[in-house]
Amino acid sequence: MRIAGDRRRWIVLAAVWLLLLTTPFWLLHVGGYMALGTRVAVLALAAMSLNFLLGFTGVLSFGHGAYFGLGAYGTGLALKFLTHSTPLALVLGTLLGGVAGALLGALIVRRRGVYFAMVTIAFGQVFYFTAFRWSSLTGGDDGLNGFARQPLHFPGWTADIASDATLFYYFVLLVFAIGTGAMGLLLRSPFGRTLLAIRENERRARFLGIPIEQHIWLAFSISTLFTALAGGLYALLNNFADPTLLNYNQSGEIVIMIVLGGMRSFWGPLVGAAVFVVLQDYLSSLTQNWMSFLGAIFVLAVLFFPRGVLGMRLAGTSGAAKPAAPAPGPASPSSS
Amino acid sequence: MTDLLLLNVSNGLIIGAFYVLMALGLSLILNLSGVINFAHGGFLALGGYLAYTLAPYVGFWMALFLSPLLVAVLGLIVERTMMHHMYRRDPLYSLLLTFGLAFIFEDSTRAIWGASGKPFSVPAYLANPVSSKLFFLTHYRLLIVVIATLVVGALFLALRYTREGIRIRAGTLDLDTVSSLGVNVRRLRTFNFALGTYLAGLAGVLAAGQIGVEPTMGAGLLMPSFVAIIVGGVGSLPGTLLGGLLIGVAAGVTTVFWPAASEAVIYVMMALVLLVRPRGLLGEEGLLS
Amino acid sequence: MAEALLEVRGVTKAFGSLVAVNDVSLRVPPGELHAVIGPNGAGKTTFFNMISGFFAPSSGRIVFEGRDVTRLAPHRRVRIGMARTFQITEIFPELSVRENVRIATEVAAGYRLRFWLGRAAEADVARHVDEVLALCGLAAKADRLVGELAHGDQRAAEIAMALALRPRLLLLDEPTAGMGDQETYEITSLIRRLHRNSRYTIVLIEHDMRVVFHLADRMTVLDQGKLLAQGTPAEIAANEAVQAAYLGKAA
Repeated sequence: MRIAGDRRRWIVLAAVWLLLLTTPFWLLHVGGYMALGTRVAVLALAAMSLNFLLGFTGVLSFGHGAYFGLGAYGTGLALKFLTHSTPLALVLGTLLGGVAGALLGALIVRRRGVYFAMVTIAFGQVFYFTAFRWSSLTGGDDGLNGFARQPLHFPGWTADIASDATLFYYFVLLVFAIGTGAMGLLLRSPFGRTLLAIRENERRARFLGIPIEQHIWLAFSISTLFTALAGGLYALLNNFADPTLLNYNQSGEIVIMIVLGGMRSFWGPLVGAAVFVVLQDYLSSLTQNWMSFLGAIFVLAVLFFPRGVLGMRLAGTSGAAKPAAPAPGPASPSSS
Repeated sequence: MTDLLLLNVSNGLIIGAFYVLMALGLSLILNLSGVINFAHGGFLALGGYLAYTLAPYVGFWMALFLSPLLVAVLGLIVERTMMHHMYRRDPLYSLLLTFGLAFIFEDSTRAIWGASGKPFSVPAYLANPVSSKLFFLTHYRLLIVVIATLVVGALFLALRYTREGIRIRAGTLDLDTVSSLGVNVRRLRTFNFALGTYLAGLAGVLAAGQIGVEPTMGAGLLMPSFVAIIVGGVGSLPGTLLGGLLIGVAAGVTTVFWPAASEAVIYVMMALVLLVRPRGLLGEEGLLS
Repeated sequence: MAEALLEVRGVTKAFGSLVAVNDVSLRVPPGELHAVIGPNGAGKTTFFNMISGFFAPSSGRIVFEGRDVTRLAPHRRVRIGMARTFQITEIFPELSVRENVRIATEVAAGYRLRFWLGRAAEADVARHVDEVLALCGLAAKADRLVGELAHGDQRAAEIAMALALRPRLLLLDEPTAGMGDQETYEITSLIRRLHRNSRYTIVLIEHDMRVVFHLADRMTVLDQGKLLAQGTPAEIAANEAVQAAYLGKAA
């Protein structure tokens, strides 16, 4: 059975990467455009980063928009004022979001559940208002302009990601691979397994000798770091950043991508991001009232697909899908 | 300078009154049902718009009376048809549900009444200042404070002395026990949700008379209300009351000295409170944490 | 008398005016299986929680391997070799049996903050996990999710997690609670194997008399928080006070 599980994982991995690597060759033929594919990859990275915390550590942050936005602003500001190197700007933006996440994480790590969600949302708004108000630096409500991603220079070759949308897609995909690869490896490490343990049964994990707060703080910091990385990519994609990226609406969108795709699955948020981005693109071209449709997606997803697109399949095999329905199985503390 | 300060303190108190009404409703729902109602701002805006629509026909006072009740009826319907499916699930789902509802509310408001703000006029005798010296203090502002005080007072008395109120408070502390005592928790939660949305609707009408109506009027009050709840202490209604007033006044006073920081100051307060007293000013340890 | 592995000296626990455990002492030498029994409300759970560190006693001392652990936090007791299971099955339901045991093994080995393991360490962990799973009869079910297993197997998985911590003293809290005959038999056999073949020192509390008399080397009987009798199963069975207070009532 273990062998079969391993094989299935390799098949999924191969299929995902085959699709991602060949996207430029089929996307246009199915009515898409390159920037749409890039946006899916970027938001998928954000969703998978949040899911590291939400789906695999079991901690509900509803304020990850802030770190996404900080990554975007950090990267944009670095390109505008500090450097002409796109990768360096991306690293700086990522660090800005990651450090902010680590600092705030330390403050809120003892909170749980709804309370944790509320505190993360509320603190996220600090960055929103900062970007909104500090217009001399950030451009305020109009957003941050005046920067553009720069070509990558290698010895003997220049990759013009600035004007070649396909090349930029592959650049994003490379960063996506690094981010998701790192998180995937982390989840398969002893540290990663302690996070699963915390998600499954915090009391038991504490009793095993795992200092819960320390581990949740690490998970939160890692998660915000990679979310900021995605935010940086987003700024590069649009050569623009605006305060709404930092807002809790952005957080909500990232969470719904996770739920749409299934939060117990590593690649689920990728599927969710694709579904969400394509739907949003389609709806906003179709109707002015796309917000209502977006809201309806939230409501319908929650009422009818609580386990996500991928989760539906899992629901058949495992009776104990926890967050969706606290299973009345023998594992629940009703057997005393 | 003193006048300016006084103006902004009174501004702060009035904003605080809105925060308090909004946050108390949120707090009631959060405490009994464990749900963060993102759509609360939508209920508030709806209260304002209903009053805007009704007032030309039934007059200001009747609109003030009817609109919150209509909002509460909608709250009741939302709770019955959707919210109550969420209680046994992870809090994540109720969050997303109300989040989606907030989108739908805001967009519908925009579709029905238009995207731009509308003025909402209160009777002339309310719009006049109390005295020429206190030119900024209109009768309407006094009315806001009086109504908010009366409603909050009535709410606290009801929670202490009426059967339903005692059940709501008991349910906040230990829902299982309340349920095992034969209380219909389902109905209690529905009633409680409607009560919470009633407060939002009332705040909406009052706010409309002060600043007019616009689709995002409630969304802007949502975050400060979260902060009020956290500062006051999750699980404590008196805490929410205190938190709402504190951050209202803090925001008002900051406007005098450093207008750009008037939004940020409440988050700084929240950070300080969480550092010094993680459970909030009047919060109980362990509750919902 | 041999050096005791665990020694409880006159512990008392009062909750307000209610004295749940009153001046109870206990010596468990290495290799012994010691059962603590008593009717409901006798104070055995409180007594057990003091040994595992969930409550501090109001007075008295608890000594493990010559070290005073009376006020040591539960997870620190785990680290020095005292592992407990829970009456309510406490596991990681959506992880496989192997992962459950593996997490315990890795944490006990001090790997909890490792982002990767070397090949050698990885192999060590895997070997230890396989040993524990085999010992608990879970090898065939290693890749099933624990939440999907039968109640008895979940309890065995929890014992496996405790064993993965490499304890020198195993504390079992009502291991057969809520089980049918077949499951009770399986868990009892497992405990007997751990005791007879693997020489684990075990303290368990139990209210099922059948289980205890066939397992224990020695027993402690509590009644209304007080020590009623201590001795071998044969001595306990013959003890008139026990018969009056416990067996008589049960019959």
